[in-house]
Amino acid sequence: MRSFWPVFKRELFAFWVTPLAWVLTCVFLVVQGMHFSVLVKNFAEMGSIESDQTPIQAFFGNTVLLYLVLFLLVPPMTMRLFAEERRSGTIESLMTAPVSAPAVVLAKYGAALVTYAAMWAPTLLYVVILQRSGFVDWHVVAASYLGVLLVGAGYLALGLFMSAVTKSQFIALVLTALVLLALFILGIGEFVTRDGTALHDVCAYVSVWAQMNDFASGVVDTRRVFWDGTLVVLPLFLTTRVVDSWRQDG
Amino acid sequence: MSNLSDRRGQLDVYIRPVISVSKLVKRYGNVVAVDGLSFEVGKGEIVGFLGPNGAGKSTTLRILAGFLGQTSGKATVCGHDVALESREARASLGYMPESVPLYPEMRVGEYLGFRAELKGVARGERSRAVGAAMEKAGVADRATWVIGKLSKGYRQRVGLADALVGSPPLLILDEPTAGLDPNQIRDVRKLLREIGKEHTVLLSTHILSEVESTCSRAIVIAKGKLVAEGTLAEMRKLRRSPALVVVVRGDARKAEAALAALDVFSKIDVELEGDLATLRCAWKKKVDAPENAERAIAALVTAEIPVRSAAPEQSTLEDVFAELTSSEVAT
Repeated sequence: MRSFWPVFKRELFAFWVTPLAWVLTCVFLVVQGMHFSVLVKNFAEMGSIESDQTPIQAFFGNTVLLYLVLFLLVPPMTMRLFAEERRSGTIESLMTAPVSAPAVVLAKYGAALVTYAAMWAPTLLYVVILQRSGFVDWHVVAASYLGVLLVGAGYLALGLFMSAVTKSQFIALVLTALVLLALFILGIGEFVTRDGTALHDVCAYVSVWAQMNDFASGVVDTRRVFWDGTLVVLPLFLTTRVVDSWRQDG
Repeated sequence: MSNLSDRRGQLDVYIRPVISVSKLVKRYGNVVAVDGLSFEVGKGEIVGFLGPNGAGKSTTLRILAGFLGQTSGKATVCGHDVALESREARASLGYMPESVPLYPEMRVGEYLGFRAELKGVARGERSRAVGAAMEKAGVADRATWVIGKLSKGYRQRVGLADALVGSPPLLILDEPTAGLDPNQIRDVRKLLREIGKEHTVLLSTHILSEVESTCSRAIVIAKGKLVAEGTLAEMRKLRRSPALVVVVRGDARKAEAALAALDVFSKIDVELEGDLATLRCAWKKKVDAPENAERAIAALVTAEIPVRSAAPEQSTLEDVFAELTSSEVAT
């Protein structure tokens, strides 16, 4: 694991020295900012306490905007992680240094996760703004951000895996987007399939929509956390195996 | 004295070779890239790994560098099996891949610092190690440059500096002069000779003059198999001089007639330049060349033809190589 730090630092560097992370952060914050201002305006016009929701809840739960943003954010963040190194050949210098495959995989993943968290960090200001004009339940805020982090962690791990299975960044991007879309649609299946069937249960279990609704109302369900954990660990494990397999087929 | 140190060098090879490859095989599907290759490289040697394009040079070097796994056979680097102790093996060598892949967005110093950390150079040692590698490879003046803006020649040097960082005992360089212009090639070769004083070097190339100018020994492979191995003198001995080149003054036709009368040449080409004539006389049988050369000179002198010079035509390594790889027989 000694090789974790140098690779982690280099990946962070690659994110933030090239325009990629800045462009993505800008787009992300513009979309989120608009989302937030529309929400707040709506709540302000509603007048009294008719709503059973708070702006925070509406920001994180019961909205398609969150997924749309993740859908646009994650694939371009992860597409280059391995694909670019394999296309340009730098993977050869990387893997012939005394590094281990798990360390390289974790370092790249860690850098993507930290970058992702950094992109969300400025949105904490929205909460500060809300607090100045009203009451904010910090448990809900913490649960919501935990939810966003967990969902993103799974998505990034899937994206990293897709980046390892192809030499083309574009194909990695498309594959990641397709898998994320498939996961989302599977989750939506909760509302389409009949209650009580096995398919309905599966859909409800993997539903990111339902998860964010839960978390945005302050409910941290360990089953959800476990599922998100699976989405992190399994792709990372598979990525490590893929990286090891390159030794055999060149 | 030199004999003694030579012998000690040879002994070292047998006591503990830096690289030891035995019956190495690498298959890609049905394609056999490396086919039962065995060789050794001793401490302090600069060995040229020669072969035409597609001979399996890069594959072999990649296996040694720990980038690829072999199909069968055994390879050890500095005493570590590349398959079983891959990490220790990788830690003991510096490798420069063929295309010299670098991260274009990093500065030279940053990149080498990253590589030093990756190779486990201790924090306090790092800047000194990076500085030393840059100095040796001649890129110290480009330390703050962004790699993407460097010329091909400088990129090659950064690749060399990368391999040198942390001073590994062994350097494996895949075509270190590929794609450079003649001046850059000369610089890199000079660099390699310098580096060879402190490190054991295995470098691949398909250019024979490169081996002649930098290496002490050559290993020739073709189609994944060992074709020949030996010092440069040994390699040259593999093929005897194909012709005698005589320069005479005066009547070229008379000289040609005198030489033809000996009946030892298969063909005599005459080239005139002013009052000098250069006669390239190809031997019928190369084996008796030394005695026949004496006879030829004597015949010219007897015929009272002024001889300026007479010398066997040097067969270049190119000729040796062509012969070796076409017949694929090691002698």
